Amino acid sequence: MTTTVAPKSTAPTRILQMTLLPVILIIVWQLWAMLLASDPRTPVPTRIVTTFVDLVANGGLVGALVQSLTRVVSGFAIAFVFGATLGLLMGSYPRLRNLLDPIIETFRPLAPMAILPIVLLWFGTGTPAATAIVTYAAFFPLLLNTVHGVSRVDRKLVLAASTMGVSKPVILARVVLPAALPSVMLGARLAMGIAWTAIIAAELGVGAKSGGGTSGGIGQMMFVFYSYSIDLNAIVVCMIVVGVVALAIDRIFRFAERRLMPWRQ
Amino acid sequence: MNLMNQTQVTLEPSRAMAQGAGTAESSLAPIVTADVAPRAVAIGAPVSRAGIVRRALRTRSFSAVISFAVFLLLWDVIAEWLDAPIQFPSPLRVASAFVDLASGGELFEHALISTTRLAISLAVALALAVPVGFFMGLNEKANAYMDPLVELLRPISGIAWIPLALFIFGIGDVLPVFIMVYVAFFPLLLSTIAGVRNVDPKFVNAARTMGVGRAALLRKVIVPAALPTVMVGFRLAFAGAWAAIIAAELIGSPSGLGFAIEWYRELLMSPKVFAFIAVIGIVGYLCDLGLRALQRRLTPWAEGTGLA
Repeated sequence: MTTTVAPKSTAPTRILQMTLLPVILIIVWQLWAMLLASDPRTPVPTRIVTTFVDLVANGGLVGALVQSLTRVVSGFAIAFVFGATLGLLMGSYPRLRNLLDPIIETFRPLAPMAILPIVLLWFGTGTPAATAIVTYAAFFPLLLNTVHGVSRVDRKLVLAASTMGVSKPVILARVVLPAALPSVMLGARLAMGIAWTAIIAAELGVGAKSGGGTSGGIGQMMFVFYSYSIDLNAIVVCMIVVGVVALAIDRIFRFAERRLMPWRQ
Repeated sequence: MNLMNQTQVTLEPSRAMAQGAGTAESSLAPIVTADVAPRAVAIGAPVSRAGIVRRALRTRSFSAVISFAVFLLLWDVIAEWLDAPIQFPSPLRVASAFVDLASGGELFEHALISTTRLAISLAVALALAVPVGFFMGLNEKANAYMDPLVELLRPISGIAWIPLALFIFGIGDVLPVFIMVYVAFFPLLLSTIAGVRNVDPKFVNAARTMGVGRAALLRKVIVPAALPTVMVGFRLAFAGAWAAIIAAELIGSPSGLGFAIEWYRELLMSPKVFAFIAVIGIVGYLCDLGLRALQRRLTPWAEGTGLA
């Protein structure tokens, strides 16, 4: 893939390469915050660590995280049911696809946050609103990748099965679905990543617009730290947690892809 | 590399759809709907009037008209039935709100503010990400040191920066621009690195054999070869930025499309909310069309490589 083959670096060099710049960055940040920053609220690495410990100890962070994750998972599950089913149908029936395509292509580029006002009007400021935005965000990658996967299934496989008298539903379940699985899994991974971003946006937005009242979750927690307690260290803790969760979600899905479809290696 | 896998496949479906309208390659149609026979006959047989009608029914533009008509009708029926003008305004009222906003100029005002911010952010992100991407792509050692930092920051979504950025920049123009630059930076950087590293070594070796210098090699070989991948990254960067600006303006800006939808929501003027949401979709769609055209103009050699 690469033009130059990277020289095999030894383990110590690898560790140095991995850590050098991040460590320098943190040290510079720490020194700058301690010596030069005039605002006492400036986030400092050491205080971020103690804030993290505090937030974990009082249970606030874990509670918010669990709430956000529950919403993401339920929103994703709803989107998966609709997205995969509709994708299977649209991939198998081109006429249906031609009919629905224009509508889907109209809504697909619309950012999840753009429907926040509608969602607020429909569902208020609680969990249903946040879940609805996640569902909307996760729906499109799931749908499009399922359609893509189904429509790319090798026709020979389908023909072979129907020659041998296999009925249409069975073909769909035993031939089309497994062949489309890699694409569906990819869609699921992308959808989950987008869903996680969307929940933060939704909770932030709902929190900001409802005066920090009812939404909960890690996104709203960040907003409360911004607008009420003005604790920037805590905001950075939340940002790091959001990043770590995003990374973990990505890795879990990649791992599942390898385990479920070893032939894709 | 991971990113490139994603970019290709995420962009591919829409392309596959655009091309796949009615081509045999992309469909299971013959088996599932068993309409292969009539179609095969229609090709050879003299075209009858019924055949023309049937063919017209199958064209994309016609099915688009049908589906939009059905969509609007359903919307109207549901709106009539629910009779909740605030939660579910009828399409007619949204259309008239759209006309009002357009004739008053307010619509263009907000759209112009948002697109200006978008253009500035994309320009800044390009100026930052592409040089760094070339540097990291060409220099294996720099890449080994800088990549961990990129991978540390990349999972933190731009949205998660909003509260901190609100504190640093306050409510105003800088916040959305900062968020968008951040969002656009990573796809551009990663696609530039991937584009530079995936230049066919044969091209590089051929140029070297012919005694081409470093600067010319970069300008005449590596840049043109990497450009299609960079353009794919640019379209992803645009899509991400356009999604992020709505969130940023909605939470932390006194103007722009994201602000407008939330402003009219608070006033419970739903038709205007829906009209502005439509504008967000339309502007996003038009920009993507423009970028596709730009892509074809800038990198005509990418045609057929899966990156066009």
